[in-house]
Amino acid sequence: MKNLQQRLRPWLVKYLALPSDVVMELPRITIIGQLHVYIENHKGLAVFTDNELRLKTTKGYIQIKGSSFVLKMMLPEEILLEGKIAEVKFISG
Amino acid sequence: MKQIQGSFIKGYVRIVVTGDRPEMFIQESVNRGVTVWNIKREGRKSCSGNVKLSDIPEIRKIRRERNYKITFEERRGYPFLFSRFFRRKEFVFSFIMSILLILFMSNIIWKVEITGELPKEIEEKIATQLNAYGIHAGAWIFTIDPPAKIQQKLTDDIPELLWVGVRQKGTTYQLEGVEKIVVQDDKVEGPRNLVATKKGIIKRMYVSKGVPQVEINDYVEPGKILVSGKLNEVPESEEEDENKENRKEIVVPAEGEIIASTWYEVDVTIPLKQNYELLTGQQEKKYYIGIKNFKFPIWGFGSPDFQDVHHDSTTSPIKFLKWNLPINIIESTLSEKQLQKFERTKEEAVQAGIKQAKEELQLQLGPDAKITSEKVLHESLENGKVKLYLYITVEENIAKAQPITQGD
Repeated sequence: MKNLQQRLRPWLVKYLALPSDVVMELPRITIIGQLHVYIENHKGLAVFTDNELRLKTTKGYIQIKGSSFVLKMMLPEEILLEGKIAEVKFISG
Repeated sequence: MKQIQGSFIKGYVRIVVTGDRPEMFIQESVNRGVTVWNIKREGRKSCSGNVKLSDIPEIRKIRRERNYKITFEERRGYPFLFSRFFRRKEFVFSFIMSILLILFMSNIIWKVEITGELPKEIEEKIATQLNAYGIHAGAWIFTIDPPAKIQQKLTDDIPELLWVGVRQKGTTYQLEGVEKIVVQDDKVEGPRNLVATKKGIIKRMYVSKGVPQVEINDYVEPGKILVSGKLNEVPESEEEDENKENRKEIVVPAEGEIIASTWYEVDVTIPLKQNYELLTGQQEKKYYIGIKNFKFPIWGFGSPDFQDVHHDSTTSPIKFLKWNLPINIIESTLSEKQLQKFERTKEEAVQAGIKQAKEELQLQLGPDAKITSEKVLHESLENGKVKLYLYITVEENIAKAQPITQGD
């Protein structure tokens, strides 16, 4: 049953034009220049240091690297990161 | 950022979490609904972040469950400011003192203004009178009488004043005076007659100008011409036709006093028994602070040692700047009173009734009228009251000026 649901979801996104982040439980990442990264729909913090932020998602991790990181705001499923962002990387786990 | 709005008002704390993987502690608290913001990595084993003051108990709970050390660093917001403020006694003291000072200042008269077009000497008189009542710059507002009373007192004490308006405007007392100017009676200018205003029998006549139309002992009705202003009014004579050209009427303002005897019938009722209250002059004063309906005594305790008490209280609100506070100073005067009973016989009642009727009539007619005689026409005793029906004769001036309209 779960398999069927998982197969159905990309199809829903493709043909019914439903927002993919909602349907497929994917993180939505908004990046404003090098200043801010706004991540919604993540599954929790894994690592946070001055120059690295790693967040759990449904399929692996998101790794953000840069320098002088500050978490401006932290809510259960949202995070706002401030600093000088160098790279955003998806690590499948 | 809605979540951290108002955090300054409710207060927030910067906590430092120390332990293995400190971000996990923050993740845990976020999962439990605690908003954390401005999170920073402090070192290899520590993290810092802001949390609301109301979330501190939750943070403590998590700390107990896990192996982390928490230190509180900065305390910000109004709750901390207040507690810091109240910890300094001298600061609180000076704050209270300054409010008391403003209270004190707001309840003092700062200025007495006298306006109105008054001559200097009357203005000075008013000022000295006011001083005598205790109204001067620097006096307490609630120790002095209400403006209406002062107004009354001033007009009584300074006869030159026709009217005085006393107004209390905040901390200034404004007085507006109108001087009494003796205005000459407007005389009817030009030619006029004197006519009777009441019916009566003429007793005496003093005519200084004009032609008298009536004689002593004549009975006159209201409206009858007593003294004519038309001179040269020749009664019909044989030479009428010849004199027609000469008979130019000369009209003058008639002047004179016609004293006639008039009469009045008056009803009076006099009770045989009378109860009245008399203040003996013994009095005690009490002061209260009143908040709404509650009165708190501040001066004058115990009840007075007289039996019948007349209460009289004046309320004056305490002011703060321009507002009246809901707190009042109540001054209540307890005066001793005596109940007086008065009984009289029927004869005494009749005498009193006649006297009363005469006084009333005199008041009505003015000081020039002279009551010559009175007679009891009928008297009856009903329900403890004597009813009198009096006949009073008066000698008074009944003449009134009436202008002669030319050309009729």
